[in-house]
Amino acid sequence: MAYQAYQSAQHNAPPDQSFLWNIFQRVDKDHSGAISDTELQQALSNGTWTPFNPVTIRSIISMFDRDNKGGVNFQEFGGVWKYITDWQNIFHTYDTDNSGFIDRNELKQALTCFGYRLSDQFYSILIERFDRQRKGQVAFDDFIHCCIALQRLTDMFRRYDTDQDGWIQVSYEQYLSMMFCVV
Amino acid sequence: MSFHYEQCYPGPGGGSHFPGQGPTGGPYTAGMPLGGQYGGTAPPSAPPAPPGYEPYGGAAPPPGGQYAGDQAPGAPYGGYGQPQGGAYGQQPPGLGNVPPGVNPEAYQWFQSVDTDHSGCITLKELKQALVNSNWSAFNDETCLMMINMFDNTKSGRMDVFGFSALWNFLQQWRALFQQFDRDHSGCISGSELHQALSQMGYSLSPQFTQELAARHPPRGSMQLDRFIQVCTQLQSMTQAFRERDAAVTGSARISYEDFLSGAISRLV
Repeated sequence: MAYQAYQSAQHNAPPDQSFLWNIFQRVDKDHSGAISDTELQQALSNGTWTPFNPVTIRSIISMFDRDNKGGVNFQEFGGVWKYITDWQNIFHTYDTDNSGFIDRNELKQALTCFGYRLSDQFYSILIERFDRQRKGQVAFDDFIHCCIALQRLTDMFRRYDTDQDGWIQVSYEQYLSMMFCVV
Repeated sequence: MSFHYEQCYPGPGGGSHFPGQGPTGGPYTAGMPLGGQYGGTAPPSAPPAPPGYEPYGGAAPPPGGQYAGDQAPGAPYGGYGQPQGGAYGQQPPGLGNVPPGVNPEAYQWFQSVDTDHSGCITLKELKQALVNSNWSAFNDETCLMMINMFDNTKSGRMDVFGFSALWNFLQQWRALFQQFDRDHSGCISGSELHQALSQMGYSLSPQFTQELAARHPPRGSMQLDRFIQVCTQLQSMTQAFRERDAAVTGSARISYEDFLSGAISRLV
Protein backbone atom coordinates (compact mmCIF):
# COMPACT_ATOMS: atom_id res chain seq x y z
CA MET A 1 0.00 0.00 0.00
CA ALA A 2 1.29 3.37 -0.89
CA TYR A 3 1.59 6.32 1.40
CA GLN A 4 2.63 4.40 4.41
CA ALA A 5 3.88 7.65 5.82
CA TYR A 6 0.31 8.74 6.07
CA GLN A 7 -0.96 5.63 7.68
CA SER A 8 -1.23 7.16 11.10
CA ALA A 9 -3.57 9.74 9.71
CA GLN A 10 -5.93 7.13 8.34
CA HIS A 11 -7.07 5.91 11.66
CA ASN A 12 -8.24 9.31 12.72
CA ALA A 13 -11.18 11.29 11.51
CA PRO A 14 -11.63 11.73 7.76
CA PRO A 15 -8.53 13.37 6.32
CA ASP A 16 -8.83 17.08 5.78
CA GLN A 17 -9.06 18.61 2.34
CA SER A 18 -5.54 19.99 2.17
CA PHE A 19 -4.15 16.57 3.05
CA LEU A 20 -6.19 14.97 0.28
CA TRP A 21 -5.34 17.73 -2.17
CA ASN A 22 -1.68 17.15 -1.56
CA ILE A 23 -2.05 13.48 -2.39
CA PHE A 24 -4.36 14.10 -5.29
CA GLN A 25 -1.88 16.38 -6.96
CA ARG A 26 0.89 13.85 -6.61
CA VAL A 27 -1.17 11.01 -7.99
CA ASP A 28 -2.56 13.11 -10.84
CA LYS A 29 0.76 13.06 -12.64
CA ASP A 30 -0.39 14.70 -15.85
CA HIS A 31 -2.26 17.41 -13.87
CA SER A 32 -5.40 16.79 -15.86
CA GLY A 33 -7.59 17.28 -12.82
CA ALA A 34 -8.66 13.65 -12.90
CA ILE A 35 -6.92 10.49 -11.79
CA SER A 36 -6.89 7.81 -14.45
CA ASP A 37 -6.61 4.04 -14.04
CA THR A 38 -2.92 4.19 -14.84
CA GLU A 39 -2.26 6.99 -12.38
CA LEU A 40 -4.07 5.22 -9.58
CA GLN A 41 -2.35 1.97 -10.43
CA GLN A 42 1.06 3.62 -10.22
CA ALA A 43 0.19 5.15 -6.87
CA LEU A 44 -0.91 1.93 -5.23
CA SER A 45 1.11 -1.04 -4.15
CA ASN A 46 -0.13 -4.53 -3.35
CA GLY A 47 2.80 -5.29 -1.10
CA THR A 48 4.81 -6.98 -3.82
CA TRP A 49 6.71 -5.62 -6.78
CA THR A 50 3.98 -6.58 -9.19
CA PRO A 51 1.58 -3.97 -10.63
CA PHE A 52 -1.67 -3.43 -8.77
CA ASN A 53 -4.50 -5.52 -10.19
CA PRO A 54 -5.91 -3.46 -13.08
CA VAL A 55 -9.35 -5.03 -12.63
CA THR A 56 -9.46 -3.80 -9.04
CA ILE A 57 -8.39 -0.35 -10.20
CA ARG A 58 -11.13 -0.27 -12.82
CA SER A 59 -13.74 -1.34 -10.27
CA ILE A 60 -12.72 1.34 -7.83
CA ILE A 61 -12.55 4.14 -10.38
CA SER A 62 -15.88 3.22 -11.93
CA MET A 63 -17.44 3.11 -8.48
CA PHE A 64 -16.61 6.75 -7.79
CA ASP A 65 -16.51 8.18 -11.31
CA ARG A 66 -20.03 9.59 -11.32
CA ASP A 67 -20.23 10.98 -14.83
CA ASN A 68 -18.32 8.22 -16.57
CA LYS A 69 -15.36 10.35 -17.59
CA GLY A 70 -12.89 7.51 -17.09
CA GLY A 71 -11.23 8.94 -13.99
CA VAL A 72 -11.95 10.58 -10.64
CA ASN A 73 -11.75 14.28 -9.93
CA PHE A 74 -10.72 15.75 -6.61
CA GLN A 75 -14.19 15.66 -5.11
CA GLU A 76 -14.58 12.01 -5.97
CA PHE A 77 -11.06 11.22 -4.85
CA GLY A 78 -12.06 11.65 -1.22
CA GLY A 79 -14.33 8.64 -1.61
CA VAL A 80 -11.62 6.63 -3.34
CA TRP A 81 -9.16 7.42 -0.61
CA LYS A 82 -11.54 6.37 2.15
CA TYR A 83 -12.54 3.25 0.26
CA ILE A 84 -8.96 2.10 -0.17
CA THR A 85 -7.92 2.86 3.38
CA ASP A 86 -11.00 1.04 4.67
CA TRP A 87 -9.95 -1.98 2.65
CA GLN A 88 -6.44 -1.63 3.93
CA ASN A 89 -7.64 -1.73 7.50
CA ILE A 90 -9.80 -4.75 6.77
CA PHE A 91 -6.88 -6.48 5.09
CA HIS A 92 -4.61 -5.87 8.07
CA THR A 93 -7.30 -7.07 10.44
CA TYR A 94 -7.62 -10.44 8.74
CA ASP A 95 -3.98 -10.89 7.79
CA THR A 96 -3.49 -12.25 11.27
CA ASP A 97 0.04 -13.53 10.68
CA ASN A 98 1.05 -10.21 9.07
CA SER A 99 2.37 -12.02 6.04
CA GLY A 100 1.07 -9.38 3.66
CA PHE A 101 -1.19 -12.02 2.15
CA ILE A 102 -4.54 -13.47 3.04
CA ASP A 103 -4.32 -17.22 3.12
CA ARG A 104 -7.17 -19.65 2.88
CA ASN A 105 -7.99 -19.65 6.59
CA GLU A 106 -7.76 -15.89 6.83
CA LEU A 107 -10.01 -15.55 3.80
CA LYS A 108 -12.51 -17.87 5.38
CA GLN A 109 -12.46 -15.86 8.58
CA ALA A 110 -12.87 -12.60 6.75
CA LEU A 111 -15.71 -13.70 4.52
CA THR A 112 -17.46 -15.47 7.37
CA CYS A 113 -17.32 -12.26 9.38
CA PHE A 114 -18.75 -10.40 6.40
CA GLY A 115 -21.68 -12.78 6.57
CA TYR A 116 -20.92 -15.23 3.80
CA ARG A 117 -21.58 -18.90 4.37
CA LEU A 118 -19.42 -20.80 1.95
CA SER A 119 -18.17 -24.37 1.82
CA ASP A 120 -14.51 -25.28 2.26
CA GLN A 121 -14.47 -26.45 -1.32
CA PHE A 122 -15.59 -23.06 -2.46
CA TYR A 123 -12.70 -21.36 -0.67
CA SER A 124 -10.36 -23.42 -2.81
CA ILE A 125 -12.15 -22.13 -5.90
CA LEU A 126 -11.85 -18.56 -4.66
CA ILE A 127 -8.14 -18.82 -3.94
CA GLU A 128 -7.49 -20.55 -7.23
CA ARG A 129 -9.37 -17.87 -9.11
CA PHE A 130 -8.17 -14.71 -7.41
CA ASP A 131 -4.60 -15.55 -6.50
CA ARG A 132 -2.78 -13.85 -9.36
CA GLN A 133 0.62 -14.43 -7.82
CA ARG A 134 0.13 -18.19 -7.67
CA LYS A 135 1.16 -18.33 -4.04
CA GLY A 136 -1.90 -20.12 -2.73
CA GLN A 137 -2.97 -16.92 -0.97
CA VAL A 138 -4.24 -13.54 -2.08
CA ALA A 139 -2.50 -10.17 -2.05
CA PHE A 140 -4.20 -6.90 -1.09
CA ASP A 141 -5.37 -5.98 -4.60
CA ASP A 142 -6.68 -9.46 -5.34
CA PHE A 143 -8.43 -9.58 -1.98
CA ILE A 144 -10.36 -6.42 -2.88
CA HIS A 145 -11.13 -7.86 -6.31
CA CYS A 146 -12.37 -11.07 -4.73
CA CYS A 147 -14.63 -9.28 -2.26
CA ILE A 148 -16.06 -6.89 -4.84
CA ALA A 149 -16.77 -9.75 -7.24
CA LEU A 150 -18.34 -11.88 -4.56
CA GLN A 151 -20.57 -9.08 -3.44
CA ARG A 152 -21.64 -8.20 -6.95
CA LEU A 153 -22.49 -11.80 -7.79
CA THR A 154 -24.29 -12.25 -4.50
CA ASP A 155 -26.41 -9.18 -5.15
CA MET A 156 -27.23 -10.54 -8.58
CA PHE A 157 -28.20 -13.92 -7.17
CA ARG A 158 -30.26 -12.36 -4.44
CA ARG A 159 -32.47 -10.50 -6.83
CA TYR A 160 -33.66 -13.83 -8.14
CA ASP A 161 -33.68 -15.61 -4.80
CA THR A 162 -36.85 -13.94 -3.64
CA ASP A 163 -37.55 -16.41 -0.85
CA GLN A 164 -33.92 -16.23 0.32
CA ASP A 165 -33.42 -19.98 0.50
CA GLY A 166 -30.13 -20.05 -1.41
CA TRP A 167 -31.66 -21.49 -4.55
CA ILE A 168 -32.94 -19.80 -7.65
CA GLN A 169 -35.17 -21.02 -10.43
CA VAL A 170 -34.26 -19.28 -13.66
CA SER A 171 -35.25 -19.56 -17.28
CA TYR A 172 -32.72 -19.98 -20.07
CA GLU A 173 -32.68 -16.29 -20.97
CA GLN A 174 -32.55 -15.23 -17.34
CA TYR A 175 -29.54 -17.47 -16.85
CA LEU A 176 -27.85 -16.06 -19.95
CA SER A 177 -28.57 -12.53 -18.80
CA MET A 178 -26.97 -13.20 -15.45
CA MET A 179 -23.89 -14.73 -17.04
CA PHE A 180 -23.54 -11.99 -19.63
CA CYS A 181 -23.64 -9.45 -16.81
CA VAL A 182 -20.61 -11.22 -15.39
CA VAL A 183 -18.39 -11.42 -18.45
CA MET B 1 -4.31 -11.92 -13.84
CA SER B 2 -5.20 -15.39 -14.80
CA PHE B 3 -8.05 -16.31 -17.00
CA HIS B 4 -9.71 -19.63 -16.94
CA TYR B 5 -11.88 -19.53 -19.94
CA GLU B 6 -11.10 -23.11 -20.66
CA GLN B 7 -13.08 -24.14 -17.63
CA CYS B 8 -16.08 -22.55 -19.20
CA TYR B 9 -16.04 -24.78 -22.18
CA PRO B 10 -17.13 -28.12 -20.93
CA GLY B 11 -18.28 -29.07 -24.36
CA PRO B 12 -18.91 -32.68 -25.19
CA GLY B 13 -15.62 -34.34 -25.92
CA GLY B 14 -13.90 -31.09 -25.19
CA GLY B 15 -14.20 -30.12 -28.82
CA SER B 16 -17.20 -27.90 -29.02
CA HIS B 17 -15.23 -24.78 -29.78
CA PHE B 18 -16.38 -24.62 -33.29
CA PRO B 19 -19.17 -22.59 -34.64
CA GLY B 20 -22.11 -23.90 -36.45
CA GLN B 21 -22.64 -26.72 -34.04
CA GLY B 22 -24.77 -24.51 -31.94
CA PRO B 23 -26.65 -26.06 -29.12
CA THR B 24 -27.83 -29.51 -29.92
CA GLY B 25 -31.02 -31.00 -28.68
CA GLY B 26 -33.57 -29.66 -26.33
CA PRO B 27 -35.54 -26.50 -26.40
CA TYR B 28 -32.56 -24.38 -27.32
CA THR B 29 -32.60 -25.68 -30.84
CA ALA B 30 -34.34 -24.26 -33.79
CA GLY B 31 -37.79 -25.41 -34.55
CA MET B 32 -39.20 -23.85 -31.47
CA PRO B 33 -41.31 -20.82 -32.03
CA LEU B 34 -39.42 -17.73 -31.08
CA GLY B 35 -40.58 -16.14 -27.91
CA GLY B 36 -41.95 -19.46 -26.87
CA GLN B 37 -40.63 -21.13 -23.82
CA TYR B 38 -37.83 -18.62 -23.41
CA GLY B 39 -39.65 -15.65 -24.67
CA GLY B 40 -40.13 -12.30 -23.36
CA THR B 41 -38.40 -12.07 -20.03
CA ALA B 42 -36.49 -8.88 -19.91
CA PRO B 43 -33.02 -9.48 -18.53
CA PRO B 44 -31.99 -7.39 -15.59
CA SER B 45 -29.34 -4.82 -16.10
CA ALA B 46 -26.00 -5.03 -14.44
CA PRO B 47 -25.92 -3.44 -11.03
CA PRO B 48 -23.17 -1.10 -10.03
CA ALA B 49 -21.15 -2.70 -7.31
CA PRO B 50 -21.60 -0.59 -4.22
CA PRO B 51 -18.86 -0.44 -1.67
CA GLY B 52 -19.37 -2.00 1.69
CA TYR B 53 -20.79 -5.34 2.53
CA GLU B 54 -24.16 -6.68 1.76
CA PRO B 55 -23.31 -10.30 2.08
CA TYR B 56 -25.61 -13.07 1.26
CA GLY B 57 -26.89 -15.64 3.65
CA GLY B 58 -25.77 -13.95 6.80
CA ALA B 59 -27.93 -12.04 8.37
CA ALA B 60 -14.47 1.55 -29.96
CA PRO B 61 -14.16 1.54 -33.47
CA PRO B 62 -16.61 3.23 -35.93
CA PRO B 63 -18.95 0.86 -37.65
CA GLY B 64 -19.59 0.32 -41.23
CA GLY B 65 -16.22 -0.10 -42.88
CA GLN B 66 -16.76 -2.04 -46.04
CA TYR B 67 -14.73 -5.12 -46.60
CA ALA B 68 -11.75 -3.55 -48.19
CA GLY B 69 -12.06 -4.25 -51.84
CA ASP B 70 -12.88 -7.78 -52.65
CA GLN B 71 -10.18 -9.46 -50.76
CA ALA B 72 -9.35 -13.06 -50.85
CA PRO B 73 -10.44 -15.22 -47.95
CA GLY B 74 -8.50 -14.27 -44.91
CA ALA B 75 -9.36 -10.66 -45.43
CA PRO B 76 -10.88 -9.61 -42.11
CA TYR B 77 -7.75 -10.59 -40.36
CA GLY B 78 -5.62 -10.04 -43.35
CA GLY B 79 -3.36 -7.31 -42.07
CA TYR B 80 -0.50 -9.55 -41.16
CA GLY B 81 1.39 -9.45 -44.39
CA GLN B 82 0.54 -12.89 -45.50
CA PRO B 83 0.33 -13.12 -49.27
CA GLN B 84 -3.34 -13.06 -50.11
CA GLY B 85 -4.88 -16.07 -51.65
CA GLY B 86 -1.83 -18.19 -51.19
CA ALA B 87 -2.98 -21.41 -52.75
CA TYR B 88 -2.09 -24.73 -51.30
CA GLY B 89 -0.38 -25.63 -54.55
CA GLN B 90 2.34 -23.07 -54.46
CA GLN B 91 4.91 -24.16 -51.99
CA PRO B 92 6.12 -21.18 -50.02
CA PRO B 93 9.62 -21.39 -48.63
CA GLY B 94 9.98 -23.20 -45.37
CA LEU B 95 6.87 -25.26 -45.78
CA GLY B 96 8.86 -28.43 -45.73
CA ASN B 97 8.94 -28.15 -41.94
CA VAL B 98 5.20 -28.09 -41.37
CA PRO B 99 4.55 -30.28 -38.34
CA PRO B 100 2.11 -33.11 -38.90
CA GLY B 101 -1.49 -32.15 -38.45
CA VAL B 102 -0.82 -28.46 -38.91
CA ASN B 103 -2.51 -26.63 -41.73
CA PRO B 104 0.25 -25.33 -44.06
CA GLU B 105 -1.41 -21.94 -44.37
CA ALA B 106 -1.72 -21.73 -40.61
CA TYR B 107 1.93 -22.69 -40.33
CA GLN B 108 2.98 -19.96 -42.68
CA TRP B 109 0.86 -17.45 -40.81
CA PHE B 110 2.27 -18.66 -37.51
CA GLN B 111 5.79 -17.83 -38.70
CA SER B 112 4.86 -14.26 -39.49
CA VAL B 113 2.77 -13.72 -36.34
CA ASP B 114 5.46 -15.13 -34.07
CA THR B 115 7.48 -11.96 -34.47
CA ASP B 116 10.02 -12.81 -31.78
CA HIS B 117 10.40 -16.37 -33.14
CA SER B 118 9.85 -17.86 -29.73
CA GLY B 119 7.79 -20.70 -31.13
CA CYS B 120 4.78 -19.43 -29.23
CA ILE B 121 2.20 -16.76 -29.88
CA THR B 122 1.58 -14.34 -27.05
CA LEU B 123 -1.51 -12.24 -26.51
CA LYS B 124 0.33 -9.23 -27.87
CA GLU B 125 1.44 -11.04 -31.01
CA LEU B 126 -2.02 -12.39 -31.63
CA LYS B 127 -3.60 -8.99 -31.16
CA GLN B 128 -1.22 -7.49 -33.67
CA ALA B 129 -2.11 -10.17 -36.18
CA LEU B 130 -5.88 -9.93 -36.09
CA VAL B 131 -7.94 -7.11 -37.51
CA ASN B 132 -11.62 -6.66 -38.16
CA SER B 133 -13.03 -5.70 -41.51
CA ASN B 134 -12.79 -2.02 -40.56
CA TRP B 135 -9.11 -2.55 -39.75
CA SER B 136 -9.62 -2.15 -36.03
CA ALA B 137 -7.53 -4.54 -33.96
CA PHE B 138 -9.26 -7.44 -32.29
CA ASN B 139 -10.22 -6.53 -28.76
CA ASP B 140 -8.21 -7.94 -25.86
CA GLU B 141 -11.00 -10.03 -24.42
CA THR B 142 -11.58 -11.94 -27.62
CA CYS B 143 -7.86 -12.53 -28.13
CA LEU B 144 -7.49 -13.69 -24.55
CA MET B 145 -10.50 -15.93 -24.84
CA MET B 146 -9.10 -17.56 -27.95
CA ILE B 147 -5.66 -18.03 -26.46
CA ASN B 148 -7.20 -19.72 -23.47
CA MET B 149 -9.26 -21.93 -25.73
CA PHE B 150 -6.33 -23.06 -27.85
CA ASP B 151 -3.48 -22.87 -25.38
CA ASN B 152 -2.74 -26.57 -25.10
CA THR B 153 0.37 -25.79 -23.12
CA LYS B 154 -1.51 -23.94 -20.36
CA SER B 155 1.17 -21.29 -20.47
CA GLY B 156 -0.98 -18.42 -21.68
CA ARG B 157 0.60 -18.76 -25.11
CA MET B 158 -0.16 -20.83 -28.17
CA ASP B 159 2.16 -23.23 -29.89
CA VAL B 160 1.86 -24.04 -33.58
CA PHE B 161 -0.65 -26.84 -32.99
CA GLY B 162 -2.97 -24.67 -30.96
CA PHE B 163 -2.51 -21.96 -33.49
CA SER B 164 -3.49 -24.25 -36.33
CA ALA B 165 -6.69 -25.11 -34.48
CA LEU B 166 -7.31 -21.42 -33.92
CA TRP B 167 -6.80 -20.84 -37.63
CA ASN B 168 -9.57 -23.29 -38.47
CA PHE B 169 -11.76 -21.76 -35.78
CA LEU B 170 -11.27 -18.28 -37.22
CA GLN B 171 -11.86 -19.41 -40.79
CA GLN B 172 -15.17 -20.92 -39.81
CA TRP B 173 -16.30 -17.93 -37.80
CA ARG B 174 -15.26 -15.56 -40.54
CA ALA B 175 -17.25 -17.52 -43.10
CA LEU B 176 -20.28 -17.42 -40.82
CA PHE B 177 -19.79 -13.74 -40.17
CA GLN B 178 -19.74 -12.96 -43.87
CA GLN B 179 -22.74 -15.16 -44.44
CA PHE B 180 -24.77 -13.41 -41.74
CA ASP B 181 -23.60 -9.93 -42.68
CA ARG B 182 -26.36 -9.81 -45.24
CA ASP B 183 -25.97 -6.19 -46.22
CA HIS B 184 -22.17 -6.56 -46.48
CA SER B 185 -21.66 -3.65 -44.15
CA GLY B 186 -18.69 -5.34 -42.50
CA CYS B 187 -20.54 -5.64 -39.23
CA ILE B 188 -23.43 -7.61 -37.79
CA SER B 189 -26.45 -5.59 -36.78
CA GLY B 190 -28.90 -6.56 -34.07
CA SER B 191 -31.33 -8.07 -36.54
CA GLU B 192 -28.54 -9.88 -38.37
CA LEU B 193 -27.38 -11.28 -35.05
CA HIS B 194 -30.87 -12.48 -34.33
CA GLN B 195 -31.05 -14.28 -37.65
CA ALA B 196 -27.57 -15.69 -37.17
CA LEU B 197 -28.32 -17.10 -33.74
CA SER B 198 -31.64 -18.51 -34.91
CA GLN B 199 -29.88 -20.30 -37.72
CA MET B 200 -27.27 -21.61 -35.33
CA GLY B 201 -30.10 -23.15 -33.37
CA TYR B 202 -30.66 -20.73 -30.53
CA SER B 203 -34.18 -19.74 -29.63
CA LEU B 204 -33.77 -16.30 -28.18
CA SER B 205 -36.23 -13.47 -28.07
CA PRO B 206 -35.53 -10.50 -30.35
CA GLN B 207 -35.21 -8.26 -27.29
CA PHE B 208 -32.58 -10.50 -25.80
CA THR B 209 -30.57 -10.59 -29.02
CA GLN B 210 -30.83 -6.83 -29.36
CA GLU B 211 -29.42 -6.39 -25.89
CA LEU B 212 -26.65 -8.81 -26.73
CA ALA B 213 -25.75 -6.84 -29.82
CA ALA B 214 -25.82 -3.62 -27.85
CA ARG B 215 -23.53 -4.82 -25.08
CA HIS B 216 -20.37 -3.42 -26.58
CA PRO B 217 -19.79 -0.12 -28.33
CA PRO B 218 -20.50 0.81 -31.03
CA ARG B 219 -23.94 -0.13 -29.89
CA GLY B 220 -26.00 -2.29 -32.12
CA SER B 221 -23.35 -3.48 -34.53
CA MET B 222 -20.65 -6.03 -34.05
CA GLN B 223 -17.33 -6.49 -35.70
CA LEU B 224 -15.95 -9.97 -36.20
CA ASP B 225 -14.15 -9.99 -32.84
CA ARG B 226 -17.29 -9.26 -30.82
CA PHE B 227 -19.31 -11.66 -32.91
CA ILE B 228 -16.86 -14.45 -32.13
CA GLN B 229 -16.75 -13.46 -28.48
CA VAL B 230 -20.49 -13.32 -27.98
CA CYS B 231 -21.22 -16.49 -29.93
CA THR B 232 -18.54 -18.43 -28.08
CA GLN B 233 -19.76 -17.21 -24.71
CA LEU B 234 -23.32 -18.01 -25.64
CA GLN B 235 -22.28 -21.49 -26.64
CA SER B 236 -20.60 -22.22 -23.34
CA MET B 237 -23.33 -20.59 -21.24
CA THR B 238 -25.97 -22.60 -23.05
CA GLN B 239 -23.97 -25.72 -22.39
CA ALA B 240 -23.73 -24.80 -18.70
CA PHE B 241 -27.45 -24.13 -18.53
CA ARG B 242 -28.26 -27.38 -20.22
CA GLU B 243 -26.23 -29.26 -17.64
CA ARG B 244 -28.46 -27.70 -15.01
CA ASP B 245 -31.66 -28.36 -16.91
CA ALA B 246 -31.38 -32.09 -17.27
CA ALA B 247 -35.10 -32.51 -17.81
CA VAL B 248 -35.01 -29.92 -20.59
CA THR B 249 -37.82 -27.88 -19.11
CA GLY B 250 -36.28 -24.55 -20.03
CA SER B 251 -35.84 -23.68 -16.40
CA ALA B 252 -33.03 -24.55 -14.04
CA ARG B 253 -32.71 -24.68 -10.28
CA ILE B 254 -29.35 -23.33 -9.23
CA SER B 255 -27.78 -23.07 -5.80
CA TYR B 256 -25.90 -20.03 -4.56
CA GLU B 257 -22.48 -21.68 -4.67
CA ASP B 258 -23.12 -23.29 -8.02
CA PHE B 259 -24.00 -19.90 -9.40
CA LEU B 260 -20.94 -18.29 -7.82
CA SER B 261 -18.59 -20.97 -9.13
CA GLY B 262 -19.93 -20.71 -12.64
CA ALA B 263 -19.87 -16.93 -12.60
CA ILE B 264 -16.40 -16.64 -11.08
CA SER B 265 -14.90 -18.84 -13.76
CA ARG B 266 -16.22 -16.40 -16.35
CA LEU B 267 -15.09 -13.23 -14.63
CA VAL B 268 -12.57 -11.29 -16.62
